[in-house]
Amino acid sequence: MRKPDLNIRVAVTGAGIICSIGSNKAEVWRSICESRAAIRKLTRFRGESFPTDLAAEVDGDIQKMLPIGKRAARRLSRSDLLAVIAAAEAIGQANENAGQPLPLGRAIVSSGTSTGGLLEGEDYYFTRLVRGRLRAPASRVLQQPTSGPSDAVARVFNAGGGVVSNATACASAGAAVGMAADYLRSRHADVAIAGGSDALCRLTYSGFNVLQAVDPQPCSPFGAERKGINLGEGAAYLVLERWDDARARGARILAELCGYGATCDAHHPTAPHEDGRGAEAAMRAAIREASVGPAEINYVNAHGTGTLLNDSAETRAIVAAVGTAVPVSSSKSYFGHTLGASGAVEAVITVLALMNQLAPPTLRLERAAEDCTLDYIPHTPRPLAMTHALSNTFGFGGSNVSLLFRRA
Amino acid sequence: MTRIAITGIGIVAPGAVGSGEFAALLESGRSAVLPVDRFDTSGLRAHTAALVRDFKARDFIGATKLRRMNTLSRYALSAARLALNDRGGELPPEAGVALGTAFGPVQTSVDYMQEYVEKGAALAPPQLFAESVANAPGSHMAIELGLRGFNVTVTQRESSALAALMYAASQTAKGAVPAALVGGVEEVNEMVFSVLDRIGALAHANGAVDECARPFDRARNGMLIGEGSAILVIESAPVRAPYAYVSGFGIARDVSATTSDWGEGQAAVAAAMKAAIDDAELSPPDIDAVYASANATVRGDRLEYRAIQSVFDRVPPVVATKGYFGEYAAGGALHLATAMIAIQTQTLPVTTGFRSGEDEMRFAPTKELYRGELRHILVNSVSAGGGIVCAVLSREAA
Repeated sequence: MRKPDLNIRVAVTGAGIICSIGSNKAEVWRSICESRAAIRKLTRFRGESFPTDLAAEVDGDIQKMLPIGKRAARRLSRSDLLAVIAAAEAIGQANENAGQPLPLGRAIVSSGTSTGGLLEGEDYYFTRLVRGRLRAPASRVLQQPTSGPSDAVARVFNAGGGVVSNATACASAGAAVGMAADYLRSRHADVAIAGGSDALCRLTYSGFNVLQAVDPQPCSPFGAERKGINLGEGAAYLVLERWDDARARGARILAELCGYGATCDAHHPTAPHEDGRGAEAAMRAAIREASVGPAEINYVNAHGTGTLLNDSAETRAIVAAVGTAVPVSSSKSYFGHTLGASGAVEAVITVLALMNQLAPPTLRLERAAEDCTLDYIPHTPRPLAMTHALSNTFGFGGSNVSLLFRRA
Repeated sequence: MTRIAITGIGIVAPGAVGSGEFAALLESGRSAVLPVDRFDTSGLRAHTAALVRDFKARDFIGATKLRRMNTLSRYALSAARLALNDRGGELPPEAGVALGTAFGPVQTSVDYMQEYVEKGAALAPPQLFAESVANAPGSHMAIELGLRGFNVTVTQRESSALAALMYAASQTAKGAVPAALVGGVEEVNEMVFSVLDRIGALAHANGAVDECARPFDRARNGMLIGEGSAILVIESAPVRAPYAYVSGFGIARDVSATTSDWGEGQAAVAAAMKAAIDDAELSPPDIDAVYASANATVRGDRLEYRAIQSVFDRVPPVVATKGYFGEYAAGGALHLATAMIAIQTQTLPVTTGFRSGEDEMRFAPTKELYRGELRHILVNSVSAGGGIVCAVLSREAA
C-alpha cells in the first residue's frame, strides 16, 4: 500500500465557514477584527429548563443561504445544511480565478461531527412518544447518523473520490482534516473537501449542563474567573490539494497544511490529563511532521474552551511543546464551542490569521488565571508576523488533534 | 512495497465469542440470525437479527468500570482484550485506536432522552452523556489498555470498519504509530431496527418466502442487521508470525446513489476495487477471492455483482458474509475479520442465504466450503449513500 509521502506538500485552496459571528469568511473576519462576539440567549428549545441560557447559534434563515433548491435540501439535517453552506463557500473559492475547475469527480469528502443529525433525531423521538413508532415518519431520521454531513456535501457537489466521516467527539473535524491530507499524500484521493459540522441539539446542551461544564456568562478562556464553555454551532470546510496540482490548476494557494498530530490522553472519559500530555504529544507530532522547530511556531490557535481543566492543561502542553514566548488565543471567546465542527472552524480562523498576518484575540480576558501563564492576546487582534500557526482541537475521550499551517 | 501485519484478533459476535468459536460458526455454515427477544418487534415486518448472546462482559471488565460503560464500550473493550491476548501481549503506549461504527451510541442517546423527558433537562445523568459520544468505546480502550496514539472513530455507514482500517494502516505506514487496535462495534437496538424496518430496508417474510438475509439471491428483499465487535491488532514490526497483511486500499463514491439507497454507478465500485488491487501492487488475476459487501438489498447487490463482473475476466470465488451475522455487525468489522480468518485457515465459508442469482449474474458465490490457495483477498464495502471502501489482505509480507 502507498503510504503518505511527507515530501508532498498539501495546499489549502479554499475555505468556508459559518458560525454565530458570520455566515461566510468575510463576515467572520470582520467580527474577529472588530472584537465582536456572538454569544446570546438561546432561542431554540423554548420552554425547556436548562440551568444556563446562553448559546452561540447561527443566526438567520439558513435555507436562504443554501446553494441548492428546497427540494434537494428536503431531507438534510441542520448539521448537513450548515456543512453544505460552508463547503459551497470553500469550493467556490477554490474555483475562483483558477484556470481549471476542481476535479470534484476525484474529490474525497472528509467530515467530522459530534452529533450529526441528532437534533432531528430528538424531534423524531418526541414524535414517537406521542404517535408511536408505527405512525412517526421514519424518513425524517434518515440523516440522523453522523455520516450525514459528509454524505450531504458529497451528494450536493457530486464528489466521486470517496466519503468518510469522523465522530471523535470535539476532535472530530481536526481528525477529518488530517486524515484527508494524508489521503492526498498517499494519492488515494486527488482533492479533499475536509471539515466538519455540528448543529446544537438538546442532548448536547443538556449534557454539558449536567456535567457542570457550562459558563452561565459569556466564556472567558484562560481567565481567572472562567467557569466553562458556551455551546455553539457551525461548520467549516477546507479544500485541500497537492501543491503541484493546485499550481497546475492555477488556483490561489491560501496556506499550506504542513503538519498533523493525533494522540490520546488515555486518562479519563471526559476530563483532560492535568499535564496535557496528549495535547503536548499531538503538537509535537504536528511540528515534527513539518520538519520545523518549536521556535518557528509563531501563533497557537488554542482549543481554549474556558473550562478550568482544559485551559490549564493546554497551557502546560503549549509551554512544553512550543515554549513560553508564543502568542496564544482562543477563538471560542467569539463563537463558543462548535463541538465536532470546532477543529475545522478554528482551522479556517487560523488560515485567515496567517493570510492577514493578524492574530485574533481572546475576548473578555480581564485577568489570566494563575495557572494560565502565556500571552493570550487579550481583547483586540494583534498584527503579527506569522509563518507557522498551530490549531489545536481536543475532545471527550482524551482525543487530541493538532494541525500546523504555514503561510503560503 | 508496504504491507502492515495483522497479529491478533478478538471477536464478540452473534453466535461466537473469540475467534475460534467464530471460525467454527463460519465453517458450520449456520447463520447466527435468530428471532429478536431484546425488544418488541410487533407491528414491524422484520422479527429477526443477529444478536450477541452468551457473552458476559464481566469476564473481561471489572464491575466498577462495567457500570460506567454502555453496551458498545463493553463489546469493544472485551474484543480488544481478546485481540491482545491472541497477539500474546500488550501494545506499546504509542499505539493508536481506530474504530468504525455505523449507528454508534443511538441506544445511549435514547436512554438519555428518556431521562431528559422524565427528570428534566437539568437532571439527566452525566454518566449517560459521557457515553453518548460515538468515540466512547475507543476512549475506554485507550484508558484501559494505555494506548496514547491516535484515537479516532469513523462513522461511514456500511464502510465504517474498512474506513477505520484504511486510516489506521495509513498512520502505521507513515510511522505515526508502531501499532494499532482497529475494528468496529455496533449494537442492535429497537430504535435502529424499527426505523430501518419502517423505511423498508429490512428483509421480511413475503408469501411463501420466509424472513432471511439472502445476499446475491434473486429472492432477496432486504438486509438483516447484526452487532458485536471485532478488533484486529495491526503493526509495522510484528512480534509474532502474522495472520495476514493489509496490502492495499481503494476509495471512491457512486455519485448516482440517493441518501438512503444504493445507486447504479458500477464503474465507481469497480474503480475502488481496482484501486485497492493496484495499491497492493497486484492485478485482478492475483486476487484469489472476493469478500463481497452484498447485504441482500435489491440495488446494492446488483450494483456490486455488476462491478465484480466488470473487474474480473474470470471471477474468483466470491463470499458474501452478511447471511451469517447481518449488515453492520461490529460496524462492518466482522466482515473484515472473516476475510482475515480465510487467509489464516486457507478456507472460504459457504455463502449462507444464497440459492440462485439473477439471470445477468455470471457467477455464484460459494455454495460449499472452498479449500484452495488464498494469497490475496479483496474485501469490499459498498454503502448506501454511495461511499465505497475496498481493501486487499495478503498472506505474505511481500
